[in-house]
Amino acid sequence: MEINAQIALTVFMGVLLVAVAAWLTRIEDWRSYSSTAGGVVSQGERSEYIEQEKPAGLIRWLTTVDHKDIGILYGIYGLTAFAVGGLMVVLMRVELATPSTTLVGPALYNSLMTSHGITMLFLFGTPIIAAFSNYLIPLIIGADDMAFPRINAIAFWLLPPSALMIWAGFFAGPLGLGFEAPQTAWTLYTPLSTGSAGGSLDPAGGAGIDLMLLGLHLSGVAATMGAINFIATIFTQRDENVTWANLDIFSWTILTQSGLILFAFPLLGSALLMLLADRNFGTSFFLADGGNLLWQHLFWFFGHPEVYILVLPMMGIVSYVLPRFAGRKLFGFKFVVYSTLAIGVLSFGVWAHHMFATGMDPRLRASFMAVSMAIAIPSAVKTFNWITTLWNGRIRLTTPMLFCIGFVSNFIIGGVTGVFLASIPVDLVLHDTYYVVGHFHYIVMGAIAFAGFAGIYYWFPLVTGRMYQATLGKAHFWLSFIGTNITFFAMILLGYGGMPRRYATYLPQFTSLNVIATVGAMILFVGQIIFVWNLVNSWYAGKRVESGDPWDLKRDGVHTVEWQWFDRKIETAITDGGEEEQNAVTDGGEPIDKSENN
Amino acid sequence: MSLETDDGHDDHHHHHLPAVEDWPRGFGEASWWPFITAVGGSGIYIGMALWILRDVVGSPLIGIGAAVASIGLFLVGIYGWLYHAFITKFWTRDITAAGPVSLRWGMITFLGTEIATFGAIFAYYFYFRAGTDWALPAATPTEALTGSLIIANTMVLIASSFTLHWAHHAIRHNDRKNFVRGMGLTVFLGLVFLGGQTLEYYQFIVTYGFNFTEGVYGSAFFGLTGLHGLHVALGIVILSIVFIRGLYGQYSAERHLSVSTASMYWHFVDIVWVFLVVVLYVGAGQI
Repeated sequence: MEINAQIALTVFMGVLLVAVAAWLTRIEDWRSYSSTAGGVVSQGERSEYIEQEKPAGLIRWLTTVDHKDIGILYGIYGLTAFAVGGLMVVLMRVELATPSTTLVGPALYNSLMTSHGITMLFLFGTPIIAAFSNYLIPLIIGADDMAFPRINAIAFWLLPPSALMIWAGFFAGPLGLGFEAPQTAWTLYTPLSTGSAGGSLDPAGGAGIDLMLLGLHLSGVAATMGAINFIATIFTQRDENVTWANLDIFSWTILTQSGLILFAFPLLGSALLMLLADRNFGTSFFLADGGNLLWQHLFWFFGHPEVYILVLPMMGIVSYVLPRFAGRKLFGFKFVVYSTLAIGVLSFGVWAHHMFATGMDPRLRASFMAVSMAIAIPSAVKTFNWITTLWNGRIRLTTPMLFCIGFVSNFIIGGVTGVFLASIPVDLVLHDTYYVVGHFHYIVMGAIAFAGFAGIYYWFPLVTGRMYQATLGKAHFWLSFIGTNITFFAMILLGYGGMPRRYATYLPQFTSLNVIATVGAMILFVGQIIFVWNLVNSWYAGKRVESGDPWDLKRDGVHTVEWQWFDRKIETAITDGGEEEQNAVTDGGEPIDKSENN
Repeated sequence: MSLETDDGHDDHHHHHLPAVEDWPRGFGEASWWPFITAVGGSGIYIGMALWILRDVVGSPLIGIGAAVASIGLFLVGIYGWLYHAFITKFWTRDITAAGPVSLRWGMITFLGTEIATFGAIFAYYFYFRAGTDWALPAATPTEALTGSLIIANTMVLIASSFTLHWAHHAIRHNDRKNFVRGMGLTVFLGLVFLGGQTLEYYQFIVTYGFNFTEGVYGSAFFGLTGLHGLHVALGIVILSIVFIRGLYGQYSAERHLSVSTASMYWHFVDIVWVFLVVVLYVGAGQI
């Protein structure tokens, strides 16, 4: 009888799902979703429009719905968060220069570690990508603006409050408000994060955790709105001569990334609210037996795609910028696109490789190992395509190019160490050691941040109309590259030695490698100070770019559409009576002669 | 659906400004509405934070007040945005070819995110439901889970999808009278459903003593039905906007985009409900 009821239910659900599928094919004219199906109005060239379409002063920035302005806002926001998260880790590394507690106590160390992770992933990583994509995608695909310009602005303005809520605990502690910055690590594992004695009394941060959960949820809402906007923009706002066949690589990676955000962030959002309810309303989402493992499943179902949410667009930037300075087109373009899509799909099937040590079902574990290792294939396809793009190219070692090559180099080390971690027996030995920390920092700092730097330098003249100081840019690169490899290679060795992660103190036998890691971090720190100085100073006082082709791309026939837009903008400015100034010096040191380019 | 602009003066080389009607007017790339909406939206979260910090700030009313005020501000922002972007000059404003397509893509992708939002709580429920020590809490009103109220409520919601489809069908044939009737009926049925849910909550919590602190099933039941109820409430707001715009004479056989997108949303919420009833109400007690 009960079995029959179950069969009946199963059959009913099957019929329902088939009916839904059938109905979906009928309800909409799906062919009309292709932007080329209807009567397409050509947008043609973007006419130039300048300041008269915006109010002046602060109000301009508060009210803007222009994708370029919003891109700049995202960029400033992301770099501010990068500075905050960076200062947090400088404190931590100074503390770790000695085995015992000296500068910061264990509680503050845990808080800094938690907020460093959250800040770098949610407040720096995602927004800095949004900076590039907001500014560039509409230009590259020939759209007037984003599909939903107002939603674009809303999504940005949700971010500053979310950052304040995430960091609130750091202000509340000194002000004596009775709660601290969270000490849960960015993974927010239960039961530590559920609080042993009710929401506001637990030792891991009290209400600071609640505020962080709310802030994270808000930033997730913003990221999701952005993703919807990018999918709609890339699908429907392309100029009529931008087809799927010739869509650029950066737009492909943003499209894939947005697809990942669409399913990863809302799921995290629900999980965060469930945790919040457990902490404040007496529900038992994660309190029952097995709830802790469930949290890890839900968290990593978001958390692993999040890695690709951050790295895929950065790979897109490298695939876009690196060929420009190799004087040729991206080698194997199609396969770079296919591998992007492959990584996007596979990324939802690997999450439990973060949980090999939890005692989950061994059969499930083996299947996650297989899928995780399979991701090495599309990643290698990309790597080999970048290397073959360089092969026999006319390579110009400008600052963006140096960062691109640094990206590839660091990505190889970060990727190969990842293949080892994907293997269950190796992971069981190295789990929760500094090997893991070294591995993922090779990716997030060595690869993701490097590609971000490459993009910032490459498009700096496009956004500001000025050129940065090339020598400082190169100093930034070398300090970052050397600092990254010293710091994180030392961590990989520490992991082999068995040093556990997430502690403010360690056994004296690990001292020398920790000192090396701290020295590396200081080198990185000096590099980033130079970077900030260069950026701010050049924005205000850098040499004006007079040519629409500051990178001398026309010579190799790789003068892409966003620089053509810039070219027209400069032409317009000159005919409008722009003042004549000294020609800008390119990063390669060659003065640009306009007549040569024409 | 015609995507052509029909005002005849479409300049193929003209840059379309994104916010020509907004406040402040005359700029075209400036609008206060996104900022106001975002301040209101963030304020809801800050209100919740202040409520959690009720011991610090002195009273829970401060947080609740901030949240309510923020909801108001949020709605003002949404109203201004919708009004200037879509409602004012409905018949005369400039329609780009890609506009309607992108709005439909916006709704489709939004529904994708909804699958993930609901998916997390369904995954939670299935995770424990499939476990070997599944047991309903003692206070569970097992009989009432498949009682007449839930059956009637489900029928009401399913019927509302049909009335909505009827209305949509009518406007596609320029039958304004039946369109308005269908929309009004749908909004009414949605309100009846919400009333039924409220009655059910009252019965479960007060009569049976079954609430969200009753273990895994209590959390899953109130988590899922609560999330769904919020979606129905949002759906009623969306459908009411379409209904009121219909009363004011907007929409035609060629121009009914927001009827389509609102329908997609409502049908989605309806399907989620059927799935929810099967697995959560009927499926809870089965072996």
